[in-house]
Amino acid sequence: MNKRTIYINNLLVRNTGITLFFITFLLVGCVENKDSSGLEYMPDMYRSPAVEPYVDYAEIRNKQNPELAKKLSAKTPPIGTIPYYGTDKELVELMLPYKRKPGIEFQQTHGLVDYVFSNKNEYELAANDKINPIHIDSTNSKEIFEEGKKIYSYMCAHCHGEKGDGNGPMVKSGAYTGVPAYADRKDLSNGQIFYSIYYGKGAMGAHGPLINKKEIWTLVHYIRKFQDPEYGKKDTSKVEQSNSTDVEIIKDTITVNNSM
Amino acid sequence: MNKSFYKTIKPTAVFLSWFFVVSIIAFGSSSFSQEEEGQVKIDGKSLFKSKCSSCHQPHKDGTGPKLFGAKNKWEENAMEGSIYLWVNNWQAAAAKDPYAQSVSELKPSAMNPFPELSKAQIDAILDWVDEQPVPTKSNDSLANAGPGGEEEEESGNSLIWILLGVSFIVIILSVGGVRRQLSISLKEKEGTGDGKDKLTYTQELKALAWKYRLQTGLISLVVVLSIIVYLFQTLYGIGVVEGYQPSQPIAFPHSVHAGKNGIDCKYCHNSVMKSKTAGIPTVNVCMNCHKQIQGEDEAKKEISKIYNAAGFDPTSLYSPGKGQPIVWNKVHSLPDHVYFNHSQHVVVGGIDCKQCHGDMTKMTETAKVWPVKELNEIEGNIKLTKPTLTMGWCIECHDKKEVSKGSLDTKKDGYYDEIHRRLLNNDKELYKKYLKDNKVSVKELGGWECGKCHY
Ligand code: HEC
Ligand code: HEC
Ligand code: HEC
Ligand code: HEC
Ligand code: HEC
Ligand code: HEC
Ligand code: HEC
Repeated sequence: MNKRTIYINNLLVRNTGITLFFITFLLVGCVENKDSSGLEYMPDMYRSPAVEPYVDYAEIRNKQNPELAKKLSAKTPPIGTIPYYGTDKELVELMLPYKRKPGIEFQQTHGLVDYVFSNKNEYELAANDKINPIHIDSTNSKEIFEEGKKIYSYMCAHCHGEKGDGNGPMVKSGAYTGVPAYADRKDLSNGQIFYSIYYGKGAMGAHGPLINKKEIWTLVHYIRKFQDPEYGKKDTSKVEQSNSTDVEIIKDTITVNNSM
Repeated sequence: MNKSFYKTIKPTAVFLSWFFVVSIIAFGSSSFSQEEEGQVKIDGKSLFKSKCSSCHQPHKDGTGPKLFGAKNKWEENAMEGSIYLWVNNWQAAAAKDPYAQSVSELKPSAMNPFPELSKAQIDAILDWVDEQPVPTKSNDSLANAGPGGEEEEESGNSLIWILLGVSFIVIILSVGGVRRQLSISLKEKEGTGDGKDKLTYTQELKALAWKYRLQTGLISLVVVLSIIVYLFQTLYGIGVVEGYQPSQPIAFPHSVHAGKNGIDCKYCHNSVMKSKTAGIPTVNVCMNCHKQIQGEDEAKKEISKIYNAAGFDPTSLYSPGKGQPIVWNKVHSLPDHVYFNHSQHVVVGGIDCKQCHGDMTKMTETAKVWPVKELNEIEGNIKLTKPTLTMGWCIECHDKKEVSKGSLDTKKDGYYDEIHRRLLNNDKELYKKYLKDNKVSVKELGGWECGKCHY
């Protein structure tokens, strides 16, 4: 041992107080709490009693106030409330509440609560709704398909696949099964496609709460394109006229359902 | 710490990929033989996939019950041939056969009739289903152990450090004590020390400090300076939330959803294009997929929390009632006096989520506020220096980010092109000044005005 090390030794040993101080400092520095957002001044500006999204209004500074909860919390609007969409007649009509109700079984199979239910088989009734309220012809089809593609790619493609073949990334990864290719369901009417997107069908959940009616009708056009590459290039009035024999079959099902 | 985590995961990853290859070979070969036979026989697999798989799976209940062993069950319990009638037209079968009647009450939804299927085809489907091996625990559950293991390691680490520190202090103290006792008793033994010579601890320290006054002075200076620096650092840290990662009621991994399964951010955060807030998905959004995806092991535990929230019974696939809402902890939060709008940045500004929220597709844990250093490492991001979510961060980006490049000749009739045109028509000098760096930044459009961000 030379002099120097002895000296350091002495320093360490003698100045226990200072050493202790440093060590606690280091230790405090090392321990990091991810659950703490750090020091804040004006914390009530971050976690405030003001009406903001995702704020539990009833909780102010860790205390629950049930009275406030009743007054301020996010509540579902009264039944029958409709949003305001401006004065464009076409848009407003498009956005009016959907005339078809979910079947009573949707309460259990699709977790739809707080809806007005119907005890008819409305999915089959929807086969009558042949007309897509967004008119399409060769002049505007390009825009509609572009818009549809955009919505489709973030809403549906992970299940149905970018090409509509039922082979989205979720199906490919093996986590999810049972997604049909649109081409296999060519006989669906426009109304049924809308109904299935809006309220769900079988394994598919309801997407009505996620996208609005204009977007859904745009998607219906876009899905038709998967089924028929020629879709949108010609006049659609022909498609609307065909299948008129279906109506009688559907009348039968109504009576069956009513008698049940 | 992350690196060491990946090191420990490596052998498991190698094992997993080996497992994958082996299972692919095993499964692949079985499906091959299937297809070869399909030339002669009817291809039950593709029939099942196209007609039945939207409701049925071989081993899991979905909209319809699992089909594995269904044929045997029907042969034992039902009238002969009744299963074919069932598939062709279940209503007819239910009317004829009491067993079919009981089956038809299994599920709330009804099966489609398949009148086009022949007896041989139905046999092929059901035989194919019965050939499917019972799935073993999938290797995903092993991979899922990842994040959990990491957490353990981390908390273990800090505990070790604390223990080490404490024992270090104890050793120093005891050594010092022993030394002191030794020297005192030595003096006593030598008889040199009388009562006055016995210095107290503090007296000894003082004497020492005087003896080494230069060193003591230096050390105190360093200590005082570092305390001041530390104080300033904490002051600068006030209101900086980088790295904030509150614990969440459900261990929700973005990597599994947005990464591996390619779900777009906007499916879940679906108001991000339309409004100020991005939105946290409601339980019904989770249920759109998790009605079917029930998970295994750890994942199952987490996913069952969604079922509690939705009031959903995973065995019968019923939702008998309402559940308890999931209360997520808010991660990103700006104070009340700031206005921030998502649709303005994402739609109008055309900024990718990863510029501000990092690469969520690789986030195996719950969401956090990404420190600006990590954000800068992501390809394509504008490099910023100020901590994320502070005012400096917003300002810096508004200075650097252009709203549109180039001069008027290249403009058409978009929103920003119109702004360019108005600028040019009103004040040519100003416009030239703005375009010196060949771009109009957000700042130059007023992105630095207090009133734009502050109420
Ligand atoms: C979570 C996965 C998933 C998502 C997301 C999804 N679907 Fe589906 N979709 C399914 C499944 C599964 C079926 C089969 C349902 C059945 O027939 O039982 C289906 C069926 C359909 C059908 C046929 C319905 C019928 O009446 O036969 C249409 C049309 C459809 N989806 C459109 C869409 C559109 C448009 C979107 C995007 C808004 C979408 N889907 C999003 C899984 C999904
Ligand atoms: C639209 C969804 C749907 C499709 C498609 C479907 N099934 Fe079903 N299946 C069901 C439901 C639901 C049940 C349960 C009976 C009930 O509640 O009505 C069932 C029951 C059955 C059963 C009786 C199961 C048991 O445990 O006894 C068999 C067998 C069966 N299906 C075969 C098939 C075959 C083969 C196909 C394909 C050609 C098919 N199903 C397609 C919905 C479907
Ligand atoms: C399957 C649905 C889903 C998808 C897809 C998804 N998220 Fe999330 N996200 C959530 C949920 C649930 C939370 C709340 C849990 C948490 O904070 O970890 C969340 C939280 C967040 C947060 C933190 C919110 C807060 O409280 O401040 C950010 C930021 C975020 N997500 C960004 C993204 C980005 C970017 C993507 C696309 C790469 C994405 N998310 C995709 C469901 C999703
Ligand atoms: C678009 C479909 C989809 C939506 C919506 C969705 N998930 Fe998932 N989730 C998945 C898939 C796919 C997996 C992976 C399952 C697998 O690997 O087998 C998964 C897995 C999980 C897991 C287990 C992860 C693990 O450790 O492996 C949890 C927990 C989870 N999801 C929670 C949620 C929550 C909470 C929501 C609602 C905010 C949600 N999910 C919404 C598709 C979805
Ligand atoms: C310019 C930066 C920026 C971009 C780009 C951005 N965000 Fe945000 N995000 C923020 C800020 C800032 C907050 C905090 C907002 C608040 O507290 O008011 C936030 C909050 C959130 C939240 C928490 C819930 C909420 O609405 O406050 C989610 C979820 C989220 N962002 C998702 C996304 C997704 C998904 C995208 C991409 C489509 C995205 N963000 C793009 C800056 C950004
Ligand atoms: C990654 C870069 C980036 C960051 C970070 C960013 N912004 Fe922006 N911001 C933009 C761009 C680009 C625009 C241009 C969009 C426009 O002009 O409408 C913009 C526009 C705005 C506007 C509208 C300005 C106007 O002229 O009307 C406001 C307000 C705003 N941002 C607030 C914020 C706040 C608050 C933050 C910090 C929480 C923030 N921004 C962080 C890029 C950013
Ligand atoms: C681009 C948007 C933006 C503009 C422009 C802006 N601020 Fe801020 N300001 C913020 C944000 C975001 C915060 C919150 C920072 C935090 O939470 O740490 C903030 C916080 C503050 C604070 C509180 C101190 C702090 O840093 O938290 C003051 C004071 C303030 N701003 C004053 C101003 C003044 C004065 C101007 C005009 C010269 C201005 N701001 C312009 C976004 C902006």
